[in-house]
Amino acid sequence: MPPTTIKKVLNPKTLKKGRPSQNRIDEGDDLEEWKKSKQLLRPKDQLELTEPELKDVIARQLNTNNPLAPENLVVFNHGTGAFELVPPFGPVVVIYESQGTQLHKESEEAKQQVIDQGLDPAILLEDAESVELKVENEEEFLGEKEGEEEPAVGEETEKVEGEEEEEVEGEGEEGEGEGEGEGETEGTKAEDDEDTKSHTTGKPKKLTNQFNFCERAALTYNNPMRAQETQTIPPPMGTFSGNVLQWIIYDAYQQDYEAQQLEKELERERKEKEKAPVSRHQALTKKIAGKAQLSEAVQGRVAECWKVLERMVNQNTFDDIAKVDFMKPLEEGAVCLFTLKNPSFPDYICMTDSAVMCVDTHPKYPYMIVIGLYDGSVRVYNVQATCKYPAFKSNSVTNKHRGIVWEVKWAPDLPDGEMNFYSVAEDGCASCVKFHPKQPLIYLVGTEEGNIYKCSTAYSSMFLLTYEAHHMPVYRIDFNMYNSDIFISCSGDWRIKIWEDNRLEPLFVFDVGACVGDVKWAPYSSTVFAAVTSEGKVYVFDLNVNKYKPICVQAIVSKRRNKLTRITFNPKLPIIIVGDDKGCVSTLKLSPNLRIPCKAPKKQQHLDQWTMQCMKLDKLLSLVREPAKLDLPEDTAESIES
Amino acid sequence: MGDGEGREKPEEAKKIVHTYPLIRHSDMPEEIKQESMELVVTACEKHSTNNESAAKMIKDEMDKKFGPPFHVVVGEGFGFEISYECHNLLYMFFGGNLAIVIWKC
Repeated sequence: MPPTTIKKVLNPKTLKKGRPSQNRIDEGDDLEEWKKSKQLLRPKDQLELTEPELKDVIARQLNTNNPLAPENLVVFNHGTGAFELVPPFGPVVVIYESQGTQLHKESEEAKQQVIDQGLDPAILLEDAESVELKVENEEEFLGEKEGEEEPAVGEETEKVEGEEEEEVEGEGEEGEGEGEGEGETEGTKAEDDEDTKSHTTGKPKKLTNQFNFCERAALTYNNPMRAQETQTIPPPMGTFSGNVLQWIIYDAYQQDYEAQQLEKELERERKEKEKAPVSRHQALTKKIAGKAQLSEAVQGRVAECWKVLERMVNQNTFDDIAKVDFMKPLEEGAVCLFTLKNPSFPDYICMTDSAVMCVDTHPKYPYMIVIGLYDGSVRVYNVQATCKYPAFKSNSVTNKHRGIVWEVKWAPDLPDGEMNFYSVAEDGCASCVKFHPKQPLIYLVGTEEGNIYKCSTAYSSMFLLTYEAHHMPVYRIDFNMYNSDIFISCSGDWRIKIWEDNRLEPLFVFDVGACVGDVKWAPYSSTVFAAVTSEGKVYVFDLNVNKYKPICVQAIVSKRRNKLTRITFNPKLPIIIVGDDKGCVSTLKLSPNLRIPCKAPKKQQHLDQWTMQCMKLDKLLSLVREPAKLDLPEDTAESIES
Repeated sequence: MGDGEGREKPEEAKKIVHTYPLIRHSDMPEEIKQESMELVVTACEKHSTNNESAAKMIKDEMDKKFGPPFHVVVGEGFGFEISYECHNLLYMFFGGNLAIVIWKC
């Protein structure tokens, strides 16, 4: 097959090269008549030739010799070990080659295909001939005109073919040989096919090729479509907005940091609180050990509260005058310090191992208390420090009284500042003692037998003066508040006597009909004094009002059971306190008529109360002294006596 | 910024500078919030000089961990108004001068 294609390619080639101009001219001559409208395009630079020039035939000869082709190429053959001459390349140059897809129906391949389809190729050939004949008939008109050209072409093709024959001839012969062989078989088959053809008188079947085919397809049923849609709930959305600036960030950090600090503090406090119960637990065990200390502290605070509360309660129950009872035990004694704010219970209690007979507080240091005991000893308490132990205590064997201490008295401080006191006891027959309010060295001592001795501390073994005052023990001596030369005494002989210093005879004598336990001058008046008797009565005298009888007699306690033993004026207020032998103390308020202040005479308005009181007493005394003046010699006698 | 820092420094010398992560607002579940916060801290420390890459890192990680459409803003000064899917918002400060907004939408 390749040779045929080469031929086909070659032929047009030679044709084109050989007669380009001739063809055009011939066609122009013949066709101009009926193709006038056809315009020929010609390049601009085409030469304009005259008629004879155009008619002139320029003979050109082409040959197949390639002048550039090498003639003696050699190649080293490794097999033989020598150079071999390479045969020269032919004049054929394949420019384009394409395998055809169409078969000529007379070709062997087509025949084979027909046979494969079970048809008789002969019939097909006949049909083809008939068709060809028709075509030939139609082409006969053209064939006559073209007949002139054919010989020229034929010559050229013959020349070309003649040259190529050497190569192609062998193949061509082989092809022909095959064709003949097939022809014979076809001959035999033709006869058979004729029979079949008679049977199948239908339309002859076309040969199949890639342009002649039948396509089959099946279309399946399409399912109908339906649209359905659903919408889910969109996720919840929110909006958020803000501004970011450096100071906003800074502030936020500050704020958060502060919050954290606060949190930490709270946390710490909470932890401490949590810890507290634990430590309290530990403290409990400690507390048991040191209970005394703790309870003391607690009690101190609680006691203070109680004290205040108690005072409040008592202020309500006892209006402003309080009446206090307390028994004085004989086996053991006690010093009780009261305050009027709480009359129901003493503020301070000093317990002693013996009955307390007398007490005195220091004029400058009121917390210093000296007491005399039943057993003869004396003690000094400093209640500010402690009530439990005495600050000072007399030796119970060598340095004590041999009898009941009736009275103790703070003496004025010594020049070096030391405090000192005096005590009076039964052992020396002294029953009471009184210091002179203006002369610190002078004091009066009352005795069991009724005498009053005027003594001086300077001379311990001598008496300055002796008053034969009473017949029974002297219980009290008291100086007048306004005139220190006047003093009063009382005794168990029922009498109260008023004396003037250095005068052995009393100025006044009062008989109250009972043992007088105590007598005191009033601080607010120079002429008033009060006395208590064993019959339980209080007598108040005012010499200015009545020189012979008391202006007031008041029974305080039952005279059968109790005896009054002590009386004292409040230094400022018109109140007296009275003590009895059963341990009961009563406070009494003096009625206004018992404490009338002096009215200043019209001429002497400028005088103060003190002076007027002194004047009042002096006036009274002058009345009493009158008889004394009459017997002046007696006075001198007295002085002579002493 | 250079001027601003210059002015702030003397103040900061007196006062304490807080750099800890501070959550200003968040509606995330606690676990996710903690995880996101740690992620922000990591990213901002890694890309301390480049907010953009820090934001990109946060966004990528958030997308990977909690599902894609996350948005992240990292900056020192900006304003914003955003719509976000509920329980997917985190607004926090870090390093004393950075604000980070993370939201999903």
